[in-house]
Amino acid sequence: MEKGFGEKKYMVELSEREVEDLRNSVKATSLKLMDEYIERMKKTWPNRPKIMEYFDEVAKFFGTREKEILKAKEEGRKVIGYTCMFAPIELILAADAIPVRVSSGIYDTTKLGNRIVPVEVCPVVRSTIGVGMIGFSPHLEVSDALITPLTCDGMAKLSEILSDRKPVWTVCPPRLKDSEQSMRFWREELQSVKAKIEKLTGTKITAKKLKTAIETMHRATRAFRRLQELRRGAPVIMGRDAMLVNQTSAWDDIERWTKKTEELCSELEKRRQEKILACAPDTPRIMIAGSPALWPDNWKLPNLIEEANPQGVIVADEFCSGDRFLFDPVGVDEWTMDDMFNAVAERYLLPSTCPCFTSEDGNVDRVNWLKARIEERRVDGVVYHVFRGCMLYAMEYTRIKKALDKINVPVYYLDTDYTREDVGQIKTRVEAFLEMLKSRVEF
Amino acid sequence: MWLEILSEILKLTVFAGLALAGALAILIWKRDLKTKVSYLRFFVQAAAMAALFLLFSYTNELLYVLIVIILLTLFLGRLFCGWLCPLGLYLDLMAVFRKALKIRYWNLPDKLNKLLNKLRYLLLAFFVALPFVLEKIEPWQWSLAKFLMGPFKPVSVLLGPVEPLIIPWESRLKFYGLNLSYPYASVIAFYSGESFALANMFLFIALTLASSFVVRRFWCRFCPTGVSFAVLNRFRGFRWIPLLRLNKVEEKCPKCGICKRVCPVQVLDVYERKGGDIAPSMCMLCLRCVEMCPYEECLKLNMAGRTLFKSRNWLEPSKIE
Repeated sequence: MEKGFGEKKYMVELSEREVEDLRNSVKATSLKLMDEYIERMKKTWPNRPKIMEYFDEVAKFFGTREKEILKAKEEGRKVIGYTCMFAPIELILAADAIPVRVSSGIYDTTKLGNRIVPVEVCPVVRSTIGVGMIGFSPHLEVSDALITPLTCDGMAKLSEILSDRKPVWTVCPPRLKDSEQSMRFWREELQSVKAKIEKLTGTKITAKKLKTAIETMHRATRAFRRLQELRRGAPVIMGRDAMLVNQTSAWDDIERWTKKTEELCSELEKRRQEKILACAPDTPRIMIAGSPALWPDNWKLPNLIEEANPQGVIVADEFCSGDRFLFDPVGVDEWTMDDMFNAVAERYLLPSTCPCFTSEDGNVDRVNWLKARIEERRVDGVVYHVFRGCMLYAMEYTRIKKALDKINVPVYYLDTDYTREDVGQIKTRVEAFLEMLKSRVEF
Repeated sequence: MWLEILSEILKLTVFAGLALAGALAILIWKRDLKTKVSYLRFFVQAAAMAALFLLFSYTNELLYVLIVIILLTLFLGRLFCGWLCPLGLYLDLMAVFRKALKIRYWNLPDKLNKLLNKLRYLLLAFFVALPFVLEKIEPWQWSLAKFLMGPFKPVSVLLGPVEPLIIPWESRLKFYGLNLSYPYASVIAFYSGESFALANMFLFIALTLASSFVVRRFWCRFCPTGVSFAVLNRFRGFRWIPLLRLNKVEEKCPKCGICKRVCPVQVLDVYERKGGDIAPSMCMLCLRCVEMCPYEECLKLNMAGRTLFKSRNWLEPSKIE
């Protein structure tokens, strides 16, 4: 733990021994769990391509990727963490820093978070706080600074709480995105973050560097979209594996990730031609919408769906850690600094379908996004995944349900928490839903 | 003697260049590089200029040319402005020049832009009505009226931007026997005093080029020739008229704002409209928005129900790559 980082405004004072003990116990369970989940993924998809092992390796916390980041840090590169996908990755890359996503999906640390915030708060926030308390998350620990977008209430306070541990740079997305003044404000926000990134890294973000960064991300988006497109037809990849690939992009070296993903896609395309499927072609095709399922612990729901009897396959997800993460490219008109910067700012604000936005037409962008995915991936049913305490996703459920009822797509509302206790109960419910979809498919 | 030969050679080279450009345009189209519409557009514009020169050397009845253009805009929208107009080519070249210098353009305030767009109808009405008004007041008795009567024929004013770089008739700007011209140059020359004609012409050329250097396609925002009858489709009964329409699929559009930012004449409709057919009168169908839209089949260019060109995931490696 860093010492002397100002006065602790929120954080509970823990003795070093206690921290050590907690960290060891959480680490032991997490490492075991990650191995177990990877094993289970291998089991569900018997002919899993060999290339997936690369992503397994990256996904394992405290593994090779963390060592790599630490080595890069020793060489003088900075690591900039972010809690939410509103953080401009292009700007971080342009300053030659390493972007890592720090929001945590570890169950055990939520209990620690409960000491600071009430249990009603979103578990992602509580877990991230807990991780911060004991310095557990490999990504939070290595970051030199955090970009914390103030999207929902949880994220806003999380930013404050994490400022006890790390320098925190807030960016505030406006609640309304479709107006000139919002855009102006958002541009200013990103300008100030840009200045902070430049100060920390000591690298000036020049037009040339930003262009290189944008092009790097274009290539990543291209690979990302290629993978999502492969989830369209008969399933050649299991949903969990695709989700894992999507999530590793948040902390892997993006260029290597792109290369590996392209390799995976080529492999899958070959399989598509040879008709080697990952599961039976009539498996109900599920979309998960709502609160993000974060690796590692929160693989609960995906695990349940893909291991259930009857089995389902996740062909799409609406997570900011999944399908939405790299989906939108930065569309640059002219490669001048201003236009590139505007393009980056617009890319993070406008196409986002985060429920933190509101509009007079009832966040219609999100409904459209869901409908488009449902149509192109031929989704049979939607599981609306909400964390207890995730107000925005929970409140938008009625709206989404109404819209999806109109196009005759069954939606199933599933609220859960960062806990392993409700697995049995959810299993029954998910299986009933899948049973229903299965009969619809056969019908 | 040798001057004439030189001018013939110059003409021939210009033509060879234009023919090459046309061939390239066809090649690009054939090789399925349809995403590079912006490049294709330059070739088409250059080829159109050559075609206009040919057209003018055969006919002196400019009125017919004008009628054809107006009929075209009635059915195809301002396709002429985006793809064929020589003045548009010069302005686009200024934008290329600006891009090379890495200078950012200015955006006009949206209100002003809309106002300028409406101004074009006023200008059109003025130029069309003027001769009729002047006829009534017997111009041979009134020197000012006579003065105005001259080139202020709707034909010459409205065909102003259509003048190609080289014209087949006598002009004030001569270069080795070639009659060079610039849109509206002859009109300006007529009104200027003999000694100022050239100076005024150059001033006008400099002004239009400089303004479009700063603001993309500045002239096109109020050019009376670019009047589009797309306004008509606001009224019931006229909705079938535009053959070329931009179509937007609402569900595929997450409103990322790229179409709004890349539009050279700052059309807002493509971004703001929910979906369906979009045929705003300001749009000159340059298809930059369709080209830049990263969402597959979100924006389409339809001609009488058939899709000619649609947005695609431009991050996908093209087949040739």
